[in-house]
Amino acid sequence: MIFFDFDYERANTLEDAVALLARLQGDARALAGGTDLLPSMRMENIKPGLLVSLGAIEPSEPEMLADGSIRIDALSRLSSLENSSLLRNKVPMLAQSAHVVGGNQIRQMGTLGGNLCQETRCMQLDQRHDYQFVAPCFKRGGDCCYPFPRNGHDICWSVYMSDIAPALIALDAQVEILGEAGSRRICVEELFTGNGLKPLKLGQAELLRAVFIPPAPRGFAWGFHKSTVRGGLEFGTVVIAVALQLAADGMTCVDARIVIGAVREGPVRATTAERSLKGAVLDETRLAQAAAEASKEVNPLPHHGFTKRHLMDIIRVYLRRTMTEALERTRNPGTDRETAA
Amino acid sequence: MLDVTKGTMVGAAAKTRSLTRLISLCVNGEWHEVAVKPRNMLVEVIRDTLGLTGTKASCESGTCGACTVLVEGRPMLGCITLAVECDGKQVQTVEGLADGEKLSPIQEAFLDQGAVQCGFCTPGMLMSATALLERNPKPTRDDINKALEGNLCRCTGYNTIVEAVLQASGQGGVKPVMK
Amino acid sequence: MSELNYVGKSMRRKDGPDKVTGKAVYTQDVKLPNTLIGRILRSPHPHARMLRIDTSRAKALPGVKAVITVDDTKGIKHGFVETPRYPPDQEVLARGKVVHVGEEIAAVAAVDQITAQKALGLIDIEWEILPAVFDPEEAMQADAPQIHPSHPKAPPEYSNIGGTTETQWGDVEKGFEESDYVREDRFECQLRTHGYLEPHVTLAHWESDKLNVWTSSMGVFVKRAKLAKVLDLPYSSVRIHKTYVGGTFGGKIDLYSHEYCASRLSMITGRPVQITASREEIFSAFRHAQPLILEIKTGVKKDGTLVAQRIRAINNAGAFRGSGVVVIFLAWGFTMIPYRIPNLKYEGLSVYTNHTVRAPQRGHGAPKVRFAIESQMDMIAEALGLDPITIRMRNAREPGEQLPNGDNTHRGGLGACVALAAQKSDFLAKFGRNRGPAAPKDTSGTIRRGIGIGVSAYMGGTLIYPNGSAVIVKMNDDGSVVVLTGAIDIGQGSETVISQIVAEELSIGMDDVKIVSSDTDTTPQDIGAWISGMTYVTGNAARQAAGNAREKLLQVASEKMAVPVEDLMLRDKMVYHRLNPEVRMSYREVIAASVATRRGDTIIGEGFWRTMRDEPAHPSLATTKGRWTENYAFSAQVAEVEVDIETGEAKLVKALTVHDCGFPINPQLVKGQIDGQISMALGHAFMEEVLTKDGYTLNPNWLDYRMPTIHNMAISEDADVITEQYRVGQPYRTKEVGEGLISGILAAMGNAVYDATGVRLHSTPFSAEKILAGLKALEFEAKKSRSGQKTPA
Repeated sequence: MIFFDFDYERANTLEDAVALLARLQGDARALAGGTDLLPSMRMENIKPGLLVSLGAIEPSEPEMLADGSIRIDALSRLSSLENSSLLRNKVPMLAQSAHVVGGNQIRQMGTLGGNLCQETRCMQLDQRHDYQFVAPCFKRGGDCCYPFPRNGHDICWSVYMSDIAPALIALDAQVEILGEAGSRRICVEELFTGNGLKPLKLGQAELLRAVFIPPAPRGFAWGFHKSTVRGGLEFGTVVIAVALQLAADGMTCVDARIVIGAVREGPVRATTAERSLKGAVLDETRLAQAAAEASKEVNPLPHHGFTKRHLMDIIRVYLRRTMTEALERTRNPGTDRETAA
Repeated sequence: MLDVTKGTMVGAAAKTRSLTRLISLCVNGEWHEVAVKPRNMLVEVIRDTLGLTGTKASCESGTCGACTVLVEGRPMLGCITLAVECDGKQVQTVEGLADGEKLSPIQEAFLDQGAVQCGFCTPGMLMSATALLERNPKPTRDDINKALEGNLCRCTGYNTIVEAVLQASGQGGVKPVMK
Repeated sequence: MSELNYVGKSMRRKDGPDKVTGKAVYTQDVKLPNTLIGRILRSPHPHARMLRIDTSRAKALPGVKAVITVDDTKGIKHGFVETPRYPPDQEVLARGKVVHVGEEIAAVAAVDQITAQKALGLIDIEWEILPAVFDPEEAMQADAPQIHPSHPKAPPEYSNIGGTTETQWGDVEKGFEESDYVREDRFECQLRTHGYLEPHVTLAHWESDKLNVWTSSMGVFVKRAKLAKVLDLPYSSVRIHKTYVGGTFGGKIDLYSHEYCASRLSMITGRPVQITASREEIFSAFRHAQPLILEIKTGVKKDGTLVAQRIRAINNAGAFRGSGVVVIFLAWGFTMIPYRIPNLKYEGLSVYTNHTVRAPQRGHGAPKVRFAIESQMDMIAEALGLDPITIRMRNAREPGEQLPNGDNTHRGGLGACVALAAQKSDFLAKFGRNRGPAAPKDTSGTIRRGIGIGVSAYMGGTLIYPNGSAVIVKMNDDGSVVVLTGAIDIGQGSETVISQIVAEELSIGMDDVKIVSSDTDTTPQDIGAWISGMTYVTGNAARQAAGNAREKLLQVASEKMAVPVEDLMLRDKMVYHRLNPEVRMSYREVIAASVATRRGDTIIGEGFWRTMRDEPAHPSLATTKGRWTENYAFSAQVAEVEVDIETGEAKLVKALTVHDCGFPINPQLVKGQIDGQISMALGHAFMEEVLTKDGYTLNPNWLDYRMPTIHNMAISEDADVITEQYRVGQPYRTKEVGEGLISGILAAMGNAVYDATGVRLHSTPFSAEKILAGLKALEFEAKKSRSGQKTPA
C-alpha cells in the first residue's frame, strides 16, 4: 500500500495532461500503467502531490505511414505490441522486446512510454527505507551512495533496465515529445543522459506521444536477446539489440548498430565494435572479436548481484550469438522485415 | 534525482479537502459504489471494502501475481492498480468464476490434477489461466508458460498447474488424476 | 484382504473446492469489527545499544491507541529450543540493545495503517553503535565483537557460540591410517529463504478474559504454548483459531514478536489488533534458513567402503540461538543415516552473528549436508575408478540395520531406491560421457548434458513438544462423522489424508467425513506440521480413533443382532453378517441403539499416537545420545542437467525421485510434495540467494530473490519402493515425503553439473558465474598441460 495521500485527476488528452503537469511545477506525475511509478511511490522514492492519469486516453493502434515508417502510440500497452501482427511482421525486434518484459500482467498494464520512462534501478534504492538504507542516497536527494561509497554526489550508478529502449535505438527510432510549447522529435538515443541521477532528458511537463520506426534499409538484419536467470519475470541481466545492414552479397556489413541495455545508466551503443564491423565480412571470427570488444567498451556496472566480470562474459557470448542469429535470419526471409523497394 | 514532495500547494490542499471520492466498480457482474482515496489499491477495495477475500495480498509490489484479477478481461495486478483507475470498469475475481455451484472447467481441472496445495497462489493463477483460455482456447505449453509466468507458486512446482490448463482446454489427452 | 476404497487412492483434496473458489479463509481474510492496525518498529542497526527510548510523541499522535516496548512486557523469554541446556534466550522486544537489522523494538496500535506508520517515526531512540560481525568463522574468534556470551559448555577458546553438538564412535584417526584413500573437502551453502506466498499475519482479540488469535503457523499447539508463556497466561486463556495457511516450509514455527505484540496490544486496548508483515519485512527481518559450512574428511578402502569420517559443521545462527542448535544436531543425523560409517567424529558449532535469526527450512540442514557428502562420495568414487552407483550400494544401510544411536532402519529401502533409480534413469549408460575418453570430439555445440545421483534419508516424526497427536472421531447419528484433529493443513493435505484414513477404517464415504481442525479449544493436541510426522503420527491417531469408533459400532451391533463381532463386517454405513448379508443394521440404527442402551453413548472414537513410545524424550541435541525416530525414510534421486559451457548457465532438465515412503496414502499428494521439493531444490541450486551486506538485506523482494517460475520446472518423475501395505485396523509405518526429497536432488544436481562440465563446485548456488569460472580454470589447466609447461615450483 501507499502510505501517503495524493490527489488524482484524469486527463482526456495528452495536451491536457501536459497542461496539468506544467501548472503544478514538478509536484505532479503522469500515471500510465503505473507498474514503475506506483511501486516507487510505495517505497516513497517518489512522492507526488498529484497523479495525472492518462488512463482515459485511448491509444491508437500501431500503423504504417505513407513513407513506410511505423508509428506506435506511446500509450500502447506492451501486450498489444507483442501481439500486433503489424509489428510482428514489420518490426519483429520491437515485438520481441515487448514480449520479454516482466510477466504477463505487467505487459497487460504497462505502456511503451512508461517502459521508456522507467527510473534507473539499484537494490538499495528499490525498497522501503524504514530501517534499511534509511539515510537518503544521492538519487533520493541525500548524501551518500550505498553500493559505491566512494562516488561523488554527482554520480549515480543505478542502472537503466528497459528492454525496449535498446531495440528502439538499434532500429534508429525516433520519439515524439509533447511539451507546453508543442511537439518535438528526437532520436530515442538522445533521450538518455547517461546519469543515474536523472536518466532522461525530459522536462517535468513533457510526455512521450509516439515512437517512429523508420523503414528498414536494404539488407537489414536484426537480433535481440535478453539474458535472465529464469527466462521470465525479471529485469535483464543484460539486454542486447543488434541491427545490421548487409551488402548485396549478404555477408559484408554496410552498417551496424549494437546497443547494450541493463548494464549502465542508459542504453549504450558499442560504437568501437560497430566500427570494426563496418565494411568487413561478417564471419564467426569477426563477430566474436566485435562482441569481445563491445563487452569491454560498454564497461558494464555491477548490478543486482552480478559482477562486472560476469556481465562482460554474458555480453561477449550473447552478442556474438545474437549477431549470428541476425545473419541466419536473413537466410530465412519469411521472418524478416520487408526492405524498402 | 527523484523528486520528493516538499509541501507544495497541492500537498497543502490535499490536507485540507477530502480526497475521498465515489467510484463505481462492476465486480463479478454486480455494480458497487465505493468510497475510495486515490491511494487505495484495487486489491484493498476488493478485499476490505467489498469483502471479497478470495483475491490474496502477498507482496504489495506487483512481483508475485497472487493478487491477479481481470479488469475488462485483462489480467492485472490488483496491488499496484489504483482503484480510481478502474472507475466504471468490469472486474472479475476468483469468486466470479463458478456459475453458482458449478465450477468452471479450469477450477475443476485444478482439483482433478492436484494443482492446489496451500492454495494461496491459486486465485491469481486461476485468473491468469482464465484470461489465457478466453483469448487462446488451445494454448501450447509455451503459451501457458508465458501467460502464467507472472504467478509464483512455491508448493506445486507448476507441472500439475500446466496439466490442469491442458485438461481444461481439452488438450494433450490429459485425464483427471484425483477422484 | 478386501481392496481399499480410499487409502492408496488419489482422492481429491477436501479443502480443494474452497481454495479454488476463494472461500478458504486465511488469516488475512478474518475480519473483526473495530480492528486496530499494528506495526512494528525495527532496528536500523545490526548491533547497537539503545541508550534511551522515548515513545511519548508516538503515544500522543491522534489515532494511536497503544505503544509498547519491552518494559510493557512480562520479560519472559522464548526460544525455538527450550531445554535445561538451552533455555529460552529471546525476549519478544529488544531490551537494551539490538542484535540484528530489523529486530523488533516497539509496536504501535492505531486506527489505520498510515497513522501506525507515522507513529513509528515518532519513536525516538538514542543509539550507541556497536561493532558487528557477520561471518561465523570471524564471530568465533576470541577477539570478535560479543553478541551474546558463549554457551557455558562451549569451548572456551571461541566467542559467540550458541550451542555445540559433539559425538563420536570408533577411532577416526586409526580409521584414516587404515584407509586406502583419504580426502578432505570444505563445502558452503548460501543463505536462502522459504518464500511462502502467504505473508505473516496475526489477528489477536482479547475479549474479557480470553485471547483469540488467528495467525499463520505450522502448529497451533506449540504456538499457543509459546504465546501463552510470554504473555504469562494459562493455555486455556489463549485460543489459536483455525485458518488455512498459505505455505510455511519451516518458517512459521517459532513464536514471532508480532504475534506477541498483536496480542499484548489487544489486551491493552480491548480491541482486535491486526499486524501484517510486508514482503520486505519478511525478506529482511524475519527468519531465513541456515547457511552451513561443512568440513568433511573421509577415509575409504579401495573398494569404496567407508572407514572413517570426521565432520565439522559451522552454522551461521544469526543473532539469537533460534533453531541453530537443532540444525547442528540434524547435520550429524543426516550424515549418519544413509551410509554405514564405522568410525565417526562429529563436531557442530552454532555461531551467533549479527544477522536475522534462523529457522528450519524444508530439510533443515539435510540438503546442505547431503550436497556435501554426496559430492565428496562422487569425488572419492572417481579417484578409486568406481561409478557413483557402485560406491553407494556398497555403503548403503540395509533394512533392519541397527544404527549407532540405537535406532533401527526397519523397512528402510535405500539400496532398493538406488538400484531402481539407476535402472529407471539408465544412469550408467549416460554417466561420464562428457569427460575423459568418452568426451565428445565435436565441440561446436555448447550445451553439455550431465547426470548425477544423490541419496538422502529423513526422519518421520520425532519427540518435540507436544510429542503426540490425538484425534477424536464423533459419529453423527446418520452415520457420518466429524473428525476433530489439531493437525494443521499448510498445503500438504492433512485434512484429506485424515479423511481418507477415517473413511477407510469406518467404511463410509469421503463426503461423510468432515474435518474440524487446528483450533486449540475445540480440537485435541497435535504435533504440528513441522517434524514430518503428520501422516505417520496424526494419521495413526486418526486410524486409531476411527478404529475405536468402529469397535464400539461393532459391539453394539453384535449385541443387537446377536451375532459375534468376528462374524460382522462393515460396508457403506451398514453392518452386515458376513455369511448372511440379509442380517444387517445401518449405522443410524446402531447409533440409536447405543444411545438407548449404553447410557447415551453416541459413539465417539478416541485415538492417540506417539512416536517412540518407549523413549521419554528427544535425544540430546548436544551429545546426540538417545533414540531419534522409529521411522526413517530413504531416497535416491537422479538429476539430469544441461549446461551452456560458454556462459555457465545451467538448468535442471529431468528429475527422478525414488523413495520408500512406505505406503502412499494419497499418491497424487505424494507427487505434489515431490514436485514442490524438486522446484525448491532447483531454486537452491541455480537461482536463490538472500544477498546481505553488513547485516542488511540487499534483495528483500521477489524481483531479486529469484524463486523458480513456471519456466524453470523440470520433468519430475517418481517411483515408490513400497515397503509395506496398509491394512484396515493395523498401525502403519508410512514415511515422510514432505521434507527429505530436496536433499538428494540438490546433491544430484551438483554431481550432474560435474558430469556435464568437469567443474566441481563446493558451494551452492551453482551460479553461471561460478560454473564459467570453473570451466575457464579447466581450460587453462588443459592448455598448460598441452603445451607441456612445468608448473612453477
